[in-house]
Amino acid sequence: MRFKERLGKELLFFDGAMGTMLQERGLQTGEIPELWNMTHEEVILDVHKQYLEAGCDIVKANTFGINPFKMESTGYTCEELTKKGIELVKRAIQETGKEAYTALDIGSLGKLLEPLGELTFDEAYEAFKPVCIAGEQAGADLVLIETMNDTYEIKAAVLAAKENTSLPIVVTMVFDEGGKLLTGADMEAAVAMLEGLRVDAIGLNCGFGPDVMKEFLPKLREVCSLPIVVNPNAGLPVVVDGKTCFHVGPEEFAGIMAEIAEEGISVLGGCCGTTPAHIKALVESCKGKTPLAITEKGRSVVSSYTHAVVLDNRPKIIGERINPTGKSRLKQALRENDLEYIYKEALAQQDMGAHILDVNVGLPEIDEVSMMKSVLTGLQGITDLPLQIDTSDMEAMEQGMRLYNGKPLINSVNGKKESMDAVFPLVAKYGGMVVCLTLDENGIPETAEGRIEIAERIIAEAARYGIHKKDLLMDTLCMTISTGQENAKITLDALDYVRNTLGVHTTLGVSNVSFGLPQRELVNTAFYTIALSRGLSAGIINPNSEKMMAAYHSYCALNGSDTQCTDYINLYSQQAEAPKKTADKKEVTLYDAVVRGLIDSAYQAAKKELETREPLAVIDEDLIPALDKVGQGFEKKTVFLPQLLMSADAAKAGFDAIKEFLKAKGDASASKGTIIVATVKGDIHDIGKNIVKVLLENYGFNVIDLGKDVPPETVVETAKENDVKLVGLSALMTTTVVNMETTIKMLKEELPECKVMVGGAVLTQTYADMIGADFYSKDAMGSVRYANELFENL
Amino acid sequence: MKVDRKETLRYLGYRGQEPDTQTEKLIEEVTEELERGSLPKSVYREYDCNVVGDKVKIGPLTVVSHHLSKNLQGCEKAVILAATIGRCADLMIKKYSVTNMAKATVVQAAGASAIEVYVDEVEEEVRKSARERGLYLRPRFSPGYGDFSLDYQKEVFSILECGKRIGVTLTEGNLMMPTKSVTAIIGLTTLMHQSCHQKTCSSCEKTDCEFRVE
Repeated sequence: MRFKERLGKELLFFDGAMGTMLQERGLQTGEIPELWNMTHEEVILDVHKQYLEAGCDIVKANTFGINPFKMESTGYTCEELTKKGIELVKRAIQETGKEAYTALDIGSLGKLLEPLGELTFDEAYEAFKPVCIAGEQAGADLVLIETMNDTYEIKAAVLAAKENTSLPIVVTMVFDEGGKLLTGADMEAAVAMLEGLRVDAIGLNCGFGPDVMKEFLPKLREVCSLPIVVNPNAGLPVVVDGKTCFHVGPEEFAGIMAEIAEEGISVLGGCCGTTPAHIKALVESCKGKTPLAITEKGRSVVSSYTHAVVLDNRPKIIGERINPTGKSRLKQALRENDLEYIYKEALAQQDMGAHILDVNVGLPEIDEVSMMKSVLTGLQGITDLPLQIDTSDMEAMEQGMRLYNGKPLINSVNGKKESMDAVFPLVAKYGGMVVCLTLDENGIPETAEGRIEIAERIIAEAARYGIHKKDLLMDTLCMTISTGQENAKITLDALDYVRNTLGVHTTLGVSNVSFGLPQRELVNTAFYTIALSRGLSAGIINPNSEKMMAAYHSYCALNGSDTQCTDYINLYSQQAEAPKKTADKKEVTLYDAVVRGLIDSAYQAAKKELETREPLAVIDEDLIPALDKVGQGFEKKTVFLPQLLMSADAAKAGFDAIKEFLKAKGDASASKGTIIVATVKGDIHDIGKNIVKVLLENYGFNVIDLGKDVPPETVVETAKENDVKLVGLSALMTTTVVNMETTIKMLKEELPECKVMVGGAVLTQTYADMIGADFYSKDAMGSVRYANELFENL
Repeated sequence: MKVDRKETLRYLGYRGQEPDTQTEKLIEEVTEELERGSLPKSVYREYDCNVVGDKVKIGPLTVVSHHLSKNLQGCEKAVILAATIGRCADLMIKKYSVTNMAKATVVQAAGASAIEVYVDEVEEEVRKSARERGLYLRPRFSPGYGDFSLDYQKEVFSILECGKRIGVTLTEGNLMMPTKSVTAIIGLTTLMHQSCHQKTCSSCEKTDCEFRVE
């Protein structure tokens, strides 16, 4: 029988540690164990045989560390090492005459993925791919992706296995004592993503012994609807005389594992420190036991890289602000590739209490696929909220789902055959909850019954793809009451039925209800409250609207989901003090606001000044003198970095007000000049560069920020393209100053006119002279002074 | 995990002055978020240590460095150590670089303070176990100090299995990710007068450094 047919129906046993066994036979610290497939094949074969004799059902091939990065300088290819690894298991099975499955064992690449690390998702995928292909070709029965601690890396590995093989996939991860992966992901988030990706079993390995792992299992079982695997260490590692030892012996190990088997675990085995004796004892202690039946938990979940958002009795908020429809500022940002604006919108909604963020970046004039990819990647780096991939472009949807680190919400599918044929295969492949619009080829039904009928059809069609109704979020379509007063009732009746009778979660684009009416917020708020009470699970609303948020929090207090009204009280008990603050703000002049670093006040004050004064006068008489005062204080060490930057932010708000004013009048604002800033190749510490950027922008320069780890060629090309006269380079480490030198050399060769200023922790004036820089700035203000002088003399 | 407020201020450039209320508030918020979000982890191993000239042998690690050999003079054992406070600080810096650069610089400073506090804690653990055996600690010494090349990071990482054990990886330029991480060698000696608790920058050649501690 095949592995998949037995999985979950009877107890199956993995083997134990390979590394521990090899160390006993002379593998040195730092040596690559997988090379032993070539150099010590008899030893590997013998270890496999011992585990087979001990009674295991699944043997892990000695392929854990095989990837292009680790094998780079070994003289072997990933393919040949993998092939040999699988073959050795097959040979051991044949020579012992036992029945067992061969697992292609895949571990972490040992490199950190974006957003923090250097490795992109696609590069990770490509690194796993050759191992998966070679493993299947050599005859592996399943893929085991193990000892993982980053959901993004797991997703790359799972997709590599799914798209290049037809093998069953088992994933086991290392959670810490707090039940989290190293990335901060909790168990439910990881499980949501993996169930979405349709892996075959999920579990835990390494990190702890069976006693600690046992404590995690109730939580895992509560959220997981798949067979569970447990491969613990033989206790915690203890270092004795430079050697790692594990102290839980076979009997103790097997005793606890037998208890674990009773708790509905389907597959058991061992990790570091376990030996054939452990596995033998384990198999014996579980004799006659069968796993509990695996039940569908029916939880409706989306997840981010850290946490899951569960749709339940407490309604959730989907923030609507990142959607260009009717938002000219966002349209402009998308056209100008101003992603920072989008990130700010995201974080503002998060601060206001959104649980999920809608992401729609569709504009006819931009490349939606590449925009979706860069916005999603960027957002994942700055917010930990789950995202809703909102697009009608199927390519953008698929690429978004692929790159998403978690289980996304998808917006949307509808009752048209064409739509379901396109969207459901993607949901079945990548996982996700999907918003289902109750319309079809005949349009939007004008009755609740009509919409319910479409909802039922969508549920049935989804089931054909193996998509459980827990993963559907039905939208019964909110239409404005200004064109038909029945509209609200139809929407709500359909919504009520879907949620309460069909048992499917619901969403609505709430603000549509008031389109064409005055004071829309009044109607929106009332409608939202009614919709919540009829069963709206996750409304798409504007979280920046205080009234909508008040309606939400009041509702949660009323329906009992805000236990003891804690959130409501925390949020609203201090509201009375707010008006006093506003009174204070009015007193502040623009100059003072900048000096004191008051962002809102600076914006308001600048707007007020522009009513009576020329923009240039406001800049020259208020903004610049204020910045100069703070800058001087910084140099005299009476003002410190955070204050300098708060003032910079306040000044920026002032400049924004001026820019808006000029734009309204049709004037393009003149920049003092364009400057490139970059952290050089090999260096990843870019906070100093970012500080310089903020300050330069404040002094009216147009700054092109190339980011960190920037190759010299990119700097030169960008400087050429934009006819740039000044480049600022930063480097933190002595080792990367070399790359700074190369960059300067290339710049001087190609663009002799272009000046270069440098800064960073290890630099000194002497160093800067040595590498040919035009100016060494010891702090951020120095770069502003130099830029000002340089551009004045141009 | 704790953040040392004094050290945070020092990294921000304060030399004894008290911050204004706005900065104070930033420090409080950042410290709270950082202490809540950090996942401190460490791994260390003790080996026999052998110093001949500039050549240092610590178990499987062989280093040629004048400064390290000086630091480990007379040590029969040495600990190779790695520690991190996790990704929280880096993610916060990324986030606040978009919305609030002032806050991002405070995270930078507080994160630097946090990893130092944490490494001190781990060192204390090492000290305790050493004392029980009559051994004293030399000041910790990291790759990148003096002529102890950063290239040795690769070997240190492979010996300690940093990726697997504590989730720290190396970039191509041998920098650590998450950035708020430390690797170090700590020598153990029976000679009490050779031990030294003082933290100094005496082995660093950047004598004009703003943060230099003598």
